[in-house]
Amino acid sequence: MMSELLDTEYAMALGKEVSIADVDKELHLLWEEDKARTNASLINLAVYSEQQGAILKNSERVQIITREHACRAILIGVDRDEPEASIRAWITAHCHLADGRKSVCCEQIAFQLTGKATGRLRNTVFAHLNSDLPLVFWWQGQLSSLFSERLYSLIDRFIFDSSEWPDPLASYACIEKAMKDVESLVTMDVEWMRSSQIRMAIAGLFDDPMAMNALEHTRELRVVVHPDHRIAGLQLLAWVIQRTGWSRSRELPLGTDHGDTFYLETSEGADVLATLEVDPLSAPIGMMEFKSPGCEVRVTREAGSAYLHQELEAGSHRIDRCAPANSDDAAELVMNQLSRGGNNSLYLAVIPDFLSLLGGEIDCGGASKGV
Amino acid sequence: MNNPFRKDLESRSRPEACTVVIFGATGDLTHRKLIPALYNLQVEGSLPAGVKIIGFARRPKTDEEFHHGLEAINKKVSRSGHDDAIWAEYAQNIQYHQSEFQDPDGYARLAQRLDEIDTERGGNGHRLYYIASAPEYFEDILANLREAGINRNENGFWSRVIVEKPFGTDFPTAKHLNKIVSKTFRERDTYRIDHYLGKETAQNIMVLRFANAIFEPLWNNRCIEQIQITCSENLGMEGGRGGYYDQSGALRDMVQNHLLQLLSLVAMEPPTDLSADGVRDEKVKVLRSLRQWDTPDLVAENVVRAQYIAGHVDGEKVVGYREEDRVDPESMTESYVALRVLVDTWRWSGVPFYVRMGKQLPKKATEISIHFKEPPTVLFNALSGGVPGGNVLVIRIQPDEGISLRMVSKIPGSSLRMEPVKMDFHYATSFGKRSPEAYERLLLDSMAGDATLFARRDEVEEAWKFIDHIEHAWHESDAPPAMSEYVAGTWGPKAADDLLTKHGHKWRRL
Repeated sequence: MMSELLDTEYAMALGKEVSIADVDKELHLLWEEDKARTNASLINLAVYSEQQGAILKNSERVQIITREHACRAILIGVDRDEPEASIRAWITAHCHLADGRKSVCCEQIAFQLTGKATGRLRNTVFAHLNSDLPLVFWWQGQLSSLFSERLYSLIDRFIFDSSEWPDPLASYACIEKAMKDVESLVTMDVEWMRSSQIRMAIAGLFDDPMAMNALEHTRELRVVVHPDHRIAGLQLLAWVIQRTGWSRSRELPLGTDHGDTFYLETSEGADVLATLEVDPLSAPIGMMEFKSPGCEVRVTREAGSAYLHQELEAGSHRIDRCAPANSDDAAELVMNQLSRGGNNSLYLAVIPDFLSLLGGEIDCGGASKGV
Repeated sequence: MNNPFRKDLESRSRPEACTVVIFGATGDLTHRKLIPALYNLQVEGSLPAGVKIIGFARRPKTDEEFHHGLEAINKKVSRSGHDDAIWAEYAQNIQYHQSEFQDPDGYARLAQRLDEIDTERGGNGHRLYYIASAPEYFEDILANLREAGINRNENGFWSRVIVEKPFGTDFPTAKHLNKIVSKTFRERDTYRIDHYLGKETAQNIMVLRFANAIFEPLWNNRCIEQIQITCSENLGMEGGRGGYYDQSGALRDMVQNHLLQLLSLVAMEPPTDLSADGVRDEKVKVLRSLRQWDTPDLVAENVVRAQYIAGHVDGEKVVGYREEDRVDPESMTESYVALRVLVDTWRWSGVPFYVRMGKQLPKKATEISIHFKEPPTVLFNALSGGVPGGNVLVIRIQPDEGISLRMVSKIPGSSLRMEPVKMDFHYATSFGKRSPEAYERLLLDSMAGDATLFARRDEVEEAWKFIDHIEHAWHESDAPPAMSEYVAGTWGPKAADDLLTKHGHKWRRL
């Protein structure tokens, strides 16, 4: 049971508590109170978490996302360990001034489900979707048994953050199964978004003919990441392998706390030593570097910096400039991802090489074997 | 060899690093549009690494003075704000090159500079020339680029030119200019910029028409009664614009390029693909199908020209057109034009396109409205008032970009009464993210070699042919059609209302 203090905290963050049966009626009343506001919605955005109290943080995140993506937001907090079965609901609206003139608002409905009531997620929560608008579902944390065909068959875009998964292999297996079951399901990994600006910056440097000519002569490939973002590092390496057509020649299964080392082979048969280093002082992705005789291409980011540093050194030819870095904030990353749309074809193309680097066999529903 | 990391990273053609040479670098366009556009691309990380900018102009300036002037304006107008650190880095790649446009030595020195930049890059490099100077210098600039040998495409490295409007002042001058350009650059390397085509809503016209199954079956003379294209400005000749404008007028300044381009996008057939020529082939067919108003009588019947007289705009008193700074007191240049345009194709036979453009109108707005035919009123004709108007689809180009659809609905109550209601989509409300400036998109496209949003030679020439008949009737015939007047701050002359009334239509109220 929630304490009074907690009730107040929920009310402040989530708005007016309403009975489940009255959610729609109360939403109508909310709009009738203020005619000056415009209700806008292009998507249904469901944000799901099984972490206690996350629903409050998620309300703040939705406030950020609605700056650029008008939506009906549905926050879902689930506590399956609570013995008592209950469902509570709150409604509010997030408003922003569009062009400094019009107040544009997005509705938010928050549901807290406990105990056996979590089984009523589909029937209760999804009764409140805006019809005809796509459903974007942001699942936070490890996938649980609630991630089933009954759930994902309703979803158009499924957002997850693989850096939050204690067992990424098992969870990836579940995602793969879901994509096979529902062909139209588009998946979006927040961890993959963390590297988007780094990938843009690397691609930008290889627009330079000298860097491009040196690519096949690369001998060292180095990625430095924060320990929480090893997955992002492996995804970056997989991206290089997939894009260049290089292959893995042999593997040193070091997998120590200091990182991973992989041997790659270029299409011309030359060896490339690829290392993934973890550094607790690093930004989520601190560096990506290509070294070949006579040419170094490097993108770095200091922890907390809003910029990437792009460097190219090839004899007297140098490029040294800033580029924007990805935000470290999950809401901003989701916001960027929503702006991109599409079916994430690049991510899908990289997944096989990424899973190969991750190692082990994958199995949805059981613990993974291997690394 | 292609950069493998670019593939699938963005859903657009890849812009390539190049040296951008801007002719007319001390002008307003460079300061207010081009440099801020390139800066915003840098902020977003979209500008390819290694892009260098050379400002070519006549006034003596150091690089530092040039940077200082650019920075001061960028702080005021940049869409993404101004970050000192990013600007410092951006400005490192901007150089100033002082020369007269007619001076061959200036181009020889430019060639040397370009070579030095290329050497730093480790070889050859791509070059993008942006002619933002006054039109009278176009020919000198192009000829001198050719003489200096810096217009060539060699060893896979391109040289392209972007030409600003006005692209000629009539068909012969446009044709002549095209001939001059073609001596220096291939057509596929020539980018005639029309910034209206870079606007988000203009690009959305094709998406609206061809990505939605509900509109295209109705997009023809069976369902559409008339189409209106309006560009209204609530400004006059501020900032010394009178000198240029009085030589040009509303028809040549706006209709020949921007509004006929919008008309082409609305009226064209579906292209076979989205390639630059696929789209432009269909647009030029529309321009070729315009019925020519080639006698003074036809012009008088289908075109209205007018000048504003003193009035009030936005609560401020304003002078009449002929009293404006740098405008001839006996000027016969129109500050307002309204046209009835017919597109002689199977699809549009009998559907008038009404196009109007005016200065000192009540507000700033550009929009296209598609007026559908009214439904048969057999069911509701017994009701008082009948059905209140047909459906209207409005595409707002600027400001408040968006799309609305007017339909008829029953007023709640026990009696059957109907009123028009509006379904309204606003870009700013639905997509909080601000659209890039048109110049950002167009500069990136030119670096990527994508000419879809640029006018092709035949488009420009066909548009001039249509315009020339009207200009000839106004200025060279023995019995020129009358010049009307309208009070500044009103929606134009009565003659423009009559133009529609006689065909059973009226202007949409904005």
